[in-house]
Amino acid sequence: MSVVPAGIGTADEPADVTPATGDGGPGSGAPRRQRARGRTAPVGGRTASVALWVYAAFALVPLLLMLSSSFRSNGDLISNPLGAPWPLSFDAYEEAWTAGNFATYFGNSLLVTLGAVVLSTTVATMASYALARGRSRIFRWLESLFLSGLMLPIHLAILPIFYLFDGVGLVDSRLGLALLYGASGVPFSIFVLTTFFRQLPEELEEAATLDGASAWQTFSRIMVPLVRPALATVAVFRFVPIWNDFLFPLVLLRDDAKYTLPVGLTQFFGENATNYAAVFAGLVITTLPLIALFLVATRQIVAGLTAGMSK
Amino acid sequence: MNRRTGLLFVTPALALFGVFVLYPMVTAFSYAFYDWQGTARGGFAGLENFTALFTRAPFTTDLPRALLHNVLFFVGTMLVQNTIGLTVAFLLHRRVRTRRALQTLYAMPYLVSPIVIGYLWTLLLSPTFGPVNTLLTKVGLESWALPWLGDPDTALWVVILVSVWQWIGFPVLLYGAALGGVPEELSEAARVDGASHAQTFRRVTFPLLVPAIGTVSVLTFIFAMEAFALPYAFGGSTGNPAGSTDFISLLFYRTAFDSGATDAIGTSSALATLLFVLIFGGAYAATAVLRRHERRITA
Amino acid sequence: MTTRTSRSRIALALGAGVLALAACAPSSSSGGDDGDGTTLTVWSWRVEDKAAYDKIFDVYEKSHPGVTVDFKPFKATEYNKILATGLAGKDGPDVPQVRSYGQLQGTVAAGSLVPLDGKVDLSSWDENVVASAKGKEDGKIYSVPLARQATVLFYDKKMFSDNGVQVPTTWDQFIAANETFLKKGITPLAVGAKDDWTLPIVHEVLAGARFGGADFQEAVTSGAKDFTDPDFVASVEVLKQLEKYMPKSVTGVAVTDAMTLFTSGKAAMYPGGSYDLATLQKGNPEMEIGVMQVPPASGAPSGATGTTAGWADGNFAVNSKSPHQEEATELVTWMATPEFGQLVADEVKQISAVPGVTYSDPVLKQVADDYDKTGSPYLLLTDFRYGTPTGTDLLGKGAQELFLGSKDAKTVSTELNSGVMTWFEPTS
Repeated sequence: MSVVPAGIGTADEPADVTPATGDGGPGSGAPRRQRARGRTAPVGGRTASVALWVYAAFALVPLLLMLSSSFRSNGDLISNPLGAPWPLSFDAYEEAWTAGNFATYFGNSLLVTLGAVVLSTTVATMASYALARGRSRIFRWLESLFLSGLMLPIHLAILPIFYLFDGVGLVDSRLGLALLYGASGVPFSIFVLTTFFRQLPEELEEAATLDGASAWQTFSRIMVPLVRPALATVAVFRFVPIWNDFLFPLVLLRDDAKYTLPVGLTQFFGENATNYAAVFAGLVITTLPLIALFLVATRQIVAGLTAGMSK
Repeated sequence: MNRRTGLLFVTPALALFGVFVLYPMVTAFSYAFYDWQGTARGGFAGLENFTALFTRAPFTTDLPRALLHNVLFFVGTMLVQNTIGLTVAFLLHRRVRTRRALQTLYAMPYLVSPIVIGYLWTLLLSPTFGPVNTLLTKVGLESWALPWLGDPDTALWVVILVSVWQWIGFPVLLYGAALGGVPEELSEAARVDGASHAQTFRRVTFPLLVPAIGTVSVLTFIFAMEAFALPYAFGGSTGNPAGSTDFISLLFYRTAFDSGATDAIGTSSALATLLFVLIFGGAYAATAVLRRHERRITA
Repeated sequence: MTTRTSRSRIALALGAGVLALAACAPSSSSGGDDGDGTTLTVWSWRVEDKAAYDKIFDVYEKSHPGVTVDFKPFKATEYNKILATGLAGKDGPDVPQVRSYGQLQGTVAAGSLVPLDGKVDLSSWDENVVASAKGKEDGKIYSVPLARQATVLFYDKKMFSDNGVQVPTTWDQFIAANETFLKKGITPLAVGAKDDWTLPIVHEVLAGARFGGADFQEAVTSGAKDFTDPDFVASVEVLKQLEKYMPKSVTGVAVTDAMTLFTSGKAAMYPGGSYDLATLQKGNPEMEIGVMQVPPASGAPSGATGTTAGWADGNFAVNSKSPHQEEATELVTWMATPEFGQLVADEVKQISAVPGVTYSDPVLKQVADDYDKTGSPYLLLTDFRYGTPTGTDLLGKGAQELFLGSKDAKTVSTELNSGVMTWFEPTS
């Protein structure tokens, strides 16, 4: 599931990167700040702080377990699955990186995932703009059609998808995979982006049109930059499930040199079923790029969500 | 924007979506109405595949049970996720310095593939090696050291709780954003009028969160009905133990690929169609209810 | 231009696109000749055996110049999906590894495989093994069996001698051995009942002799008896009796946990299949692993002996869409020769389906001997997977419910019976 910045309800201000988040932040007048002090105190005080950090630890434990296990020797892991990673052992990484072909898988994953995300975000942004602004009834109808895609259990259509790919020669093709993922991201992206476009005041475009800008120029130069936080949100939310998916590449790819990380990983699992340490190292290698991406993008995501919800 | 330009803007998305999503999906639904011999399609079969779902073993026992689990998964997720999500979002609200760091940490499990999540939690909860039960025994809660994933009474709840654990970052982010959108003046006014914290929340803040909760609910519903990866990682394709973590998508995979039945494609496609109808119907009804609720609030 | 025309133009373009795609339905196939040679693609679910198969096919390539065999393994748990799509498409394998017995039927019904009657001669083979390769409808041979799998009870030789325990020959001795380990804090039987598919195998290992092995198969397939037979019910009850010797909360223990218990010296015995041997040896290369047959439980039909239940698995077939049918058939024919059988025994470390193969691995040799002497079919797999629900699925789930205490042996047997009887037809 991908939970969405839904914003049913419309905003009457542009989706700014730092809209009113209710931090009780600066900007309110001095007399108000005086009164605000009592109110801005975090709910729950110290106790709540402790609870929040304990919960954060709870969120991280399995991930840390994965990390620590990857730094242990295999024998050690088998005799005591949850011991401490001392002394640090890097054998598993060496093994995974050389035997597992992870460098190739990594490149493929990046290619397919980025391709798909760029594709779906691009076409969805264009479509969303039109759907948000078009007044004809056909746009309402098209929007419903796209949104119904949110409810399609697409992975259950694996056989027809295979026949389709087989017919047009897209089996064993990274391009085909990127197209499929791109297409499957369209409903979600449109769902999020139409909301954002609807929040933008129409005066902006009217002004641009008066200045002689074409529809495309208005869209690309004025509207797109304004929904940038939303674009980041959509891109990251799509990136993660595509990066982690292994059903489609498993069925649609044949050549080992084209495998994406999850498929390569399952292959690697099979060959090293009893080398748990190497398996964990493989998992870490697969997960790290996502964590990096996420840390970089959080600011944008939070801003995007906040903009979507603000009234 | 005029209609022609608008349609030009929509066309690329429509083409992509039509060819790679709609067309295969409609084809899949059409498969449900044919006779199948392995992967070879036979004649038109009418509703035969659908009646098989309600009259033939193992569907007569597995389908209602799987559906029940999908529904329980939805209800359970909603209860836990919204309670924790709202509470955490409320506590985080106004913690200016630590909020973003905590939100990021809470969202971390989302980044890890459900297959891996299932594997790690199975390890943690294992009755033979798992640290959870070791810890419980050590602190004197031996009666709490249950075979979490081995007992039908707890297994489904483990799936629900781990799923919430994985996704909790989003309700927290969303509700946080929604809380931020509640005008301070409103709750302030309520406080001035002598309302307590709880009263302010119930009367003023909560109603304004309803749209966000509604969106989360609809998406959770779709997610719960399509649940596959996590249950599969925990209980395999048969929903171990004793079918207690079986879901419709798992039943689909068993029917389509593991049963070896010669008419597998027909019956499994019927199952896929049924699942879509359930999701569509449920989501449509939920949206209608929400719309009505919203109108009542804003009126 | 009016909006009407633009709309219909878009619709037309879309429609044309979809039609063009639909027109390319799966049909034609392209050749895979590289210059003057032929490359045969072999698909398998044995990722762990890649190195062994590469060696085996090197032997074949040497004696067949111009033929290259490309062995391509996929993840076992996802193989069914890959095979189903691969055989339907045009880039499929020339020689796919296919499932056996009932699970072969869907593939046969789709016309995906070439019948091999008259090309391979399996007349001297074990009947139970050959049955795995046949189409139920037409009785034709559609594949060449690769290996015989057998259910076995592995035990830790060193642990047995350290604790002064002899390999039991009677049921009482078997129980006494379990008691000894239990008292010393060692788990006697490493069973992972969280994975339901292992339980019918565990049932065969521990209680196969109790219901009477091969005799019972004959009686059931002919319709003289069914699974509500008191002997079968009692055999299910044996599982419940032995539960106290299994890990605590056994339905929460995964099969990998059970194997780890065994290889890390925390458990004395592990009931499983001969295919587990390689994994166990890898898990602890120093461990001395022995195999034994469980003696018949008290009350077993008279004359019952310990039994080794077996079935054929890993069959290879010829894809009917392959552009190299002739070469593929030749390769599959070779797979029915003693040369190939011996290579499978030596390299893949499995019990070859080909008769007359010798085994250098002592454990493998003993399992093969046991099977030849007192073998019986793994009934639920060899005869009760030709319809849904399958016998193995029903007993797997039923055994879990038995351990959980929600059903008794009688109910489990009755439900197994009523499940399979919805589609099963006795031979006579």
